[in-house]
Amino acid sequence: MRRSLLGGIAFNLLAWTMVFIVAFPLVWMVITSVKPQFELFRIPPTFWPEQVTFEHYARLLFETPFLTYMRNSLLLSTTTTILVVAVATLGAHSLVRFRYRGREALAQLVLFTYLLPSVVLLLPLYLMMVWIGVANSLFSLVIAYTTFALPYALWLLRSFMQGIPEDLESAALVDGATRMEAFFDVILPQALPGIISTCLFTFILSWNEYLYALVLVNTDAVRPLTTGVMSMLVSAFNIEWSLLMAASVMMSIPLIIIFAFLQKFLTQGFGAGGVKG
Amino acid sequence: MSDPLFEVRFSGVRKAFGNAVAVRDLDLTIAGGEFVALLGPSGCGKTTTLRMLAGLEFPTEGAISIGGRVVNAVAPGARDIAMVFQSYALYPHMTVAQNIAYPLRKRGVAKAERALRVQQVADTLQLTALLERRPRQLSGGQQQRVALGRALVRDPRVFLLDEPLSNLDAKLRSHMRAELIELHRRIRRTFVYVTHDQLEAMTMSDRIAVMHEGALQQFGTPAEVYNQPANLFVAGFIGAPAMTLLHGALREGAFSHPAITLPLSGPALTPTLVLGIRPEDVVLGEGPCVGRIRLVEPTGHEQIVALDLPGGDSLTVRAAPDAPLRAGEAVAWSVRPQRLHLFDASNGQRLAATMTEASA
Repeated sequence: MRRSLLGGIAFNLLAWTMVFIVAFPLVWMVITSVKPQFELFRIPPTFWPEQVTFEHYARLLFETPFLTYMRNSLLLSTTTTILVVAVATLGAHSLVRFRYRGREALAQLVLFTYLLPSVVLLLPLYLMMVWIGVANSLFSLVIAYTTFALPYALWLLRSFMQGIPEDLESAALVDGATRMEAFFDVILPQALPGIISTCLFTFILSWNEYLYALVLVNTDAVRPLTTGVMSMLVSAFNIEWSLLMAASVMMSIPLIIIFAFLQKFLTQGFGAGGVKG
Repeated sequence: MSDPLFEVRFSGVRKAFGNAVAVRDLDLTIAGGEFVALLGPSGCGKTTTLRMLAGLEFPTEGAISIGGRVVNAVAPGARDIAMVFQSYALYPHMTVAQNIAYPLRKRGVAKAERALRVQQVADTLQLTALLERRPRQLSGGQQQRVALGRALVRDPRVFLLDEPLSNLDAKLRSHMRAELIELHRRIRRTFVYVTHDQLEAMTMSDRIAVMHEGALQQFGTPAEVYNQPANLFVAGFIGAPAMTLLHGALREGAFSHPAITLPLSGPALTPTLVLGIRPEDVVLGEGPCVGRIRLVEPTGHEQIVALDLPGGDSLTVRAAPDAPLRAGEAVAWSVRPQRLHLFDASNGQRLAATMTEASA
């Protein structure tokens, strides 16, 4: 009894230490974003701001292209997510249900892109984008993100689909559904948790991506948040910390909202294949 | 009596998965309204046969017809069949009512009509109180009923049942067996029932198709399959405890084995023979043959006795529950010659022969 009590305290202590380590930078980010510029570099530093200001947020929203970047990021991430999930869902279903030559080889080949560091793919992809004439557009980023989000999405959904009994689909076919109807009536509702966690994964990946956005796109009109904010606020001579932190807070908000609503699907997704729900 | 609209016919059907042949040269005609069991050990091709009939697998060769129409190229949903799966395959995200209504919905039956028919089926199967529940809130027996209801609701020509009772406990299974027989008698549709349980096949079906290694072994009534097994496989597979098979030779017009000599006459007798003796066709305590009791298993209403015979074979015998039998004792026995089975040892086929009184 005593031992379990001590163990509980130790566990809690450890857990809260970790939470603190992870959360502190985020707290610092929020605090910095509402401090006036002059308070940032004061020695000794203040933890709680003496004066709370939202001027940085206002400047970002009304005096910079921040909203354009935000729109680009939303558009980019949403399009990528829809494309990836649509292809991966149908692809995973095919890999699980149909027998054809090279099925396993195909599934493993798709993972091959994961063996290469993304830097290696960067240049060929850039040249290909130039060649097909879509360089420096949001569309080029959609394609690029799809190339590395799709393999993982495919495998995640495949393990989900493997958990759906084939009999369900057979039953739907016998009951008079076409292949497509069986897919939409029976498979899709069963795979929904997997689809949602794949959506989340893809969205987060596209939202946070930096390297490809930096190389493939170089005009403000099509920059997403990650590279846009960096190029706007970080220069060789000066880093505008307050603005940067305010931008970071606003960049995090969509993800926080999504997480809050869909968290349980995400953890379920990462457990797929291990335990059946 | 039999309705040609409901007839099912396999003609020269073969199914191969790559190099593995699952079903070979299947010719089988199931009369309309008949209850036929496809019986065999696992891997014998019975489920593949059923799935081909359902349209879930395509035959590599041959034709399958339902009601006189070849359905090889017809989609499962257009074959006018219904199927009950071993796993029940209820749609987990739909209620019981939605599950039962699904085949009607896919056929464009109007909503009011749908509700009416679901209600009728639910009444028949005593599911009315469960209509708004989801499958996972039901017991195994209730799920089984829902699966049956989904099949019943649209009045198909042929019912396909793939080991539907194997996930139920023993008591419920015998109850559902009776219900299925009752159901078949009432609606008079063709039932094709896949099972590896010979008790189910024997008690429920009009005829049994015994399959082994992808090939049809025998197609006959339960009595035919039991009393005149067509070959060694059927002889050994049907009946519990299993028939004893004694390998012997034809010598001077008699079946000759160290334990028993049996004069026989018949056309086309072969030099090597197998004699089949069912446990209930042995008379213990008198007769020319001898054996030593190895094991006595009382079941309450009878005793199953294992006898060691001269020559090293073992003979299984059904004995009366009060017979004074003890392991280790020697006992005399004889057979009922008109009840025995004779097979050609070289190809396993049944031989027609007349047998007379045995001697040791």
